[in-house]
Amino acid sequence: MTATHCPYCALQCAMSLDGTPVAVTPRDFPTNRGGLCQKGWTSASVLRAADRLTVPLVRGADGELAPASWDDALDLVAGRLAAIAAESGPGAVAVFGGGGLTNEKAYALGKFARTVLCTPNIDYNGRFCMASAAAAANRSLGADRGLPFPLADLGGADAVLLLGSNVAETMPPSVQHLAGARAAGGLVVVDPRRSATARLTSPSADGAEQGVHLQPVPGTDLAVLLGLLHVVLAEGLADAAYVAERTTGADAVARSVAAWWPERVEAVSGVPAPELRRVARLLAAASPSRGGRGAYVLTGRGVEQSTQGTATVTAAINLALALGLVGRAGSGYGALTGQGNGQGGREHGQKADQLPGYRKIDDPAARAHVAAVWGVPPGSLPGPGLPAVALLRALGTPGGPRALLVHGSNVVVSAPDATAVRARLAALDLLVVCDVVPSETALLADVVLPVTQWAEEEGTMTSLEGRVIRRRKAVDAPGEARSELWVLAELARRLGSPVAFPTDPAAVFDELARASAGGVADYAGLSHARLDAHEAADGPGLHWPVPAAGPDGAAHPGTPRLFLDGFPTPGGRARMVPVDHVGPSDDLRPDAPLWLVTGRVLQHYQTGAQTHRVPELERAVPGPYVELHPLLGARLGTPDGARVRLTTARGTTTVAARWTDAIRPDTVFLPFHWSGEGSANLLTTDAVDPVSAMPEFKVCAVNVVPVPEEAA
Amino acid sequence: MSERRVPLRVVVVGFGMVGARLVDELERRDPDGALDVTVLGAEEYEPYNRVLLSDVVAGRTEVAAIGMPLPAGRARVLRGVAAAGIDRAARVVLADDGTAHPYDRLVLATGSRARVPDLPGLEHLPAGVHALRTLDDAREIVAATLNAPRAVVVGGGVLGVEAALGLAARGLQVALVHGAATPMDRQLDAGAGQVLAAALEAAGVRVVAGARPAEVLVVGGRAVGVRLARGAEGPGEVLAAGLVVLACGTAPDVALAAAAGLTVDRGVVVGHDLASVDDPHVHAVGDCAQPPEGSRGLVAEGWDQARRLAERWATTPEPPAAHRVHLRGPWEGAGPSAAVRLGAVLATRTPTDRGVETRGTDVVKVKAGALSVVAMGACGAGRTPAPGERAVRLADPAAGRWVEAVVADGALVGATCVGDARVAADLTAAYTRRTPVPADPAFLLLTPVAPATAPATSPEHMPDDAVVCRCNGVTKHDIACAVDDGARDVPAVARATRATTGCGGCADAVGGLCGWLARSRAAEGETVAEPV
Repeated sequence: MTATHCPYCALQCAMSLDGTPVAVTPRDFPTNRGGLCQKGWTSASVLRAADRLTVPLVRGADGELAPASWDDALDLVAGRLAAIAAESGPGAVAVFGGGGLTNEKAYALGKFARTVLCTPNIDYNGRFCMASAAAAANRSLGADRGLPFPLADLGGADAVLLLGSNVAETMPPSVQHLAGARAAGGLVVVDPRRSATARLTSPSADGAEQGVHLQPVPGTDLAVLLGLLHVVLAEGLADAAYVAERTTGADAVARSVAAWWPERVEAVSGVPAPELRRVARLLAAASPSRGGRGAYVLTGRGVEQSTQGTATVTAAINLALALGLVGRAGSGYGALTGQGNGQGGREHGQKADQLPGYRKIDDPAARAHVAAVWGVPPGSLPGPGLPAVALLRALGTPGGPRALLVHGSNVVVSAPDATAVRARLAALDLLVVCDVVPSETALLADVVLPVTQWAEEEGTMTSLEGRVIRRRKAVDAPGEARSELWVLAELARRLGSPVAFPTDPAAVFDELARASAGGVADYAGLSHARLDAHEAADGPGLHWPVPAAGPDGAAHPGTPRLFLDGFPTPGGRARMVPVDHVGPSDDLRPDAPLWLVTGRVLQHYQTGAQTHRVPELERAVPGPYVELHPLLGARLGTPDGARVRLTTARGTTTVAARWTDAIRPDTVFLPFHWSGEGSANLLTTDAVDPVSAMPEFKVCAVNVVPVPEEAA
Repeated sequence: MSERRVPLRVVVVGFGMVGARLVDELERRDPDGALDVTVLGAEEYEPYNRVLLSDVVAGRTEVAAIGMPLPAGRARVLRGVAAAGIDRAARVVLADDGTAHPYDRLVLATGSRARVPDLPGLEHLPAGVHALRTLDDAREIVAATLNAPRAVVVGGGVLGVEAALGLAARGLQVALVHGAATPMDRQLDAGAGQVLAAALEAAGVRVVAGARPAEVLVVGGRAVGVRLARGAEGPGEVLAAGLVVLACGTAPDVALAAAAGLTVDRGVVVGHDLASVDDPHVHAVGDCAQPPEGSRGLVAEGWDQARRLAERWATTPEPPAAHRVHLRGPWEGAGPSAAVRLGAVLATRTPTDRGVETRGTDVVKVKAGALSVVAMGACGAGRTPAPGERAVRLADPAAGRWVEAVVADGALVGATCVGDARVAADLTAAYTRRTPVPADPAFLLLTPVAPATAPATSPEHMPDDAVVCRCNGVTKHDIACAVDDGARDVPAVARATRATTGCGGCADAVGGLCGWLARSRAAEGETVAEPV
């Protein structure tokens, strides 16, 4: 029996794998408490995918992908990469990573890009997930750990404000941690849809209040937050002592929200002023300075995947700071990380501007430290590269990258404005994709390399609460699939690099730990052996930072709760930063008079590269659909189930309409798990947040028209 | 581009809500210092949010919380310095401290003053009588509430209604004197106004409608009451009050502009570009401006004008070389023509390539705590229905509710909503964004999102395909099959179906279903077992 964690989201539910064929059973663990959703229960099916990649594939002269030996495939890739770099410089080779890769792989990928390819152009799909939350938390709090407290802490709070997150659908077992707030009538969900999570605020079966659902116009969450802070300040509900002692910038923020009185917020957001006041008072009553048991403010992609995503998270942090929540046990601000290793994946160097340990690549001290671990001169390390959307836009353009290596990402489905991305990939001289199954992106590649997945490999992941956990091997990989650690080592060798690339995950982790030592995300006190022993002894879990043992030899216990003694900012205080609401980049207009919002369903994960290969999940949700309100359906002349055409400034797609009164009549909802016809990212805009470079996936203007029967 | 080394000199007269906002908008769009901005503010105060003064009176907002952003950039802010004159030929503003401020562009943001009615007793405002226009007014009114148990509010417009409700919330006996038959008649027609009047009465405000004050009674320099004008049935009533709040509207502050020879009507007459019709270097924004589309005195309009001006100057930094041609009729005099006004109304509602140009600036929302009163676009007693318009109405005075929606060409062009905050918010969203309205506009009168209903908990009423366990997609039918196959309790059903193994929130429902199914199957079994 192998104790490991689920291959999907950042909740990283604990599970055991056993038997032949492998079967899944849930394990008790603080985040999932013995629960699993349908994706987790059926995850072993992905190991048996009928179209699993088992040999390298190389596109031949006939244009078809054909099996090849590893030697031939790697020789080909190394030769082409060397030639392109020689002709056009090292920046002509780009790397695109993923938030599902283990810490070891993410670290090795960043190291490979910086020391072997010497390219600045490495970024990853986490830019689509966590970039805004990360930018805001780093700016305001000095560190970005999604939840700077254990998830289970939520259970003791009187209030939880959840913005842009549908956890009941995306990480269902986590809903258990909202029970305390619901029992206190304090769960507040902000979502344009009455989502499964929003429904948790409905009165209980015995009529008890469980919370409030605010249903703003899409793209106006920031105005709602500014209004909440306005009420907190106007009614004197802030924690004045905390603000005075632990923050800077409060005066400028207070002045900025003076312009956002509740009635103005109502006019902008469609959230009634009395509801704003009620929620502000509810949060204040739950805050420790007013005698409450605690309150949390949590954000998710719904508010972050926006051109004002960083500003929105900043406003959420400002609210939490004004109420005196951050850096206090039992209260806080957090971002709910999405991808399995979305946290670790953004700490160890696959981000365009970072080095391992959450170090900044333009910081000379950081460069010197990491270069020493890697055995290269600091000056040889490239500087910051292009962030994801800009990187994808630059592919195959004059002066832009000519070759791209893709690891753990399905960009042609997951990136915004998919048609444009497909065109950019086609313009490359070389596209190499490492994957488990023939994803839509792999099918476009010149070379496809089969790699190991989840239950076939050892490594670590860092969950949404900053806990470093072990992923363990239960079965051998099929055919010739090999770990990316081996692939990178082989490419480095073929490219004549003197830099060492160990292939044993435990050895890679030890190197990662050294590289991270002294950084914000310090893993120096961790090793696979320590993590295994800690788990075997039923330890409470190890959350970063875990610095190396001190001179007395005592191991550092880890840091379940950050900021208790101060903020890792120059003055030790959190910064309150004024922000203002402007609105979505793609505004409504007469030929696109409705809002399109995108999101997830429980049964699928990301682009569905895994979940579309699980028959039980495919049966439950077989294809794309768009949710719209019956009033809109009736106006359009579109019955429930009829096909509609959605058109935005980027593209058009046709899907079945699904009537529901859980959505605003001015808004339609399209889940994004599909490619081709019905693919949400044919429609989304690639406009990005000016601070985080995160694209505005969540909202754009759309026109919806019925498709005539004969054409359907 | 390299020629423009000398920054463009912008002088803003007035540092109130709109003047301060304009400075903020300019600084935000001018990272390179292309503008040299000077602001003259007559008051010593930092800018504050005037809109919130009625909330201060009501005790909903602390005075400390209404300060507005201070310019963080290079702008020179001269507080306590008033503009005394404009030399348009030399393009210089002369200040009362003797300084001179040359400009390439001048923006007047002088705002407006409270209108004080011409009544005996108000020649000089006696103690206890206040307008509600400045921070000092609000402070003095709050102080007066400590000693005056009774108050009279003169004027039943938006501000008067807010002030009356705020004073009543502080425990004062309040009379609201209003000349028309119902309060807020500019925004609300008679039916809606009556619902509002009833809500005011319920909040403890005595509404004295159709009445005019004849005199403010003063004893020893202090106000003691208001005598109403003689009515048909006899001499005017005397309303005793130690506090009298004047909410009789405002008058644009145009003295400076008039003295400088600029065309002044109600306000400084400007075109769509907010430039004076006489001088392209002089602009006016906010309450002192009279743009072609008219002005409702809402701060949203002034802020929108500040944004438009700053956006235009950020993209076209040079002022127009020649006088901009304004659309004016042959009878042009002091005021704009009807054609211009009609054109302007359309302009405010016409979408451009960057969205609706002045969206949502004509939405009036009363700040009245729990009471929701909202009006927008086509609304009010004076409204004349336009051809093609369709108005639907929900009159529910007994419940304190009144909703009217006016629809034309598939869009909401006006609405009135009293007593339903949720519907008001939806109407506002639909109006400001011009989203498609339902085929039957009557649906606009109710909230289109059904309130969350408690889940059907009685197992027999649950449809077969109802999902009981969301995390694992388990339906009632799946559970019934499990029970038929021998599962008799929750753990057994969980093993068979995975129900309850996600978040566990459905454990009670599954337990109830299990018991009911087991009992009903047993009963069926007995029925079958009975001899026929």
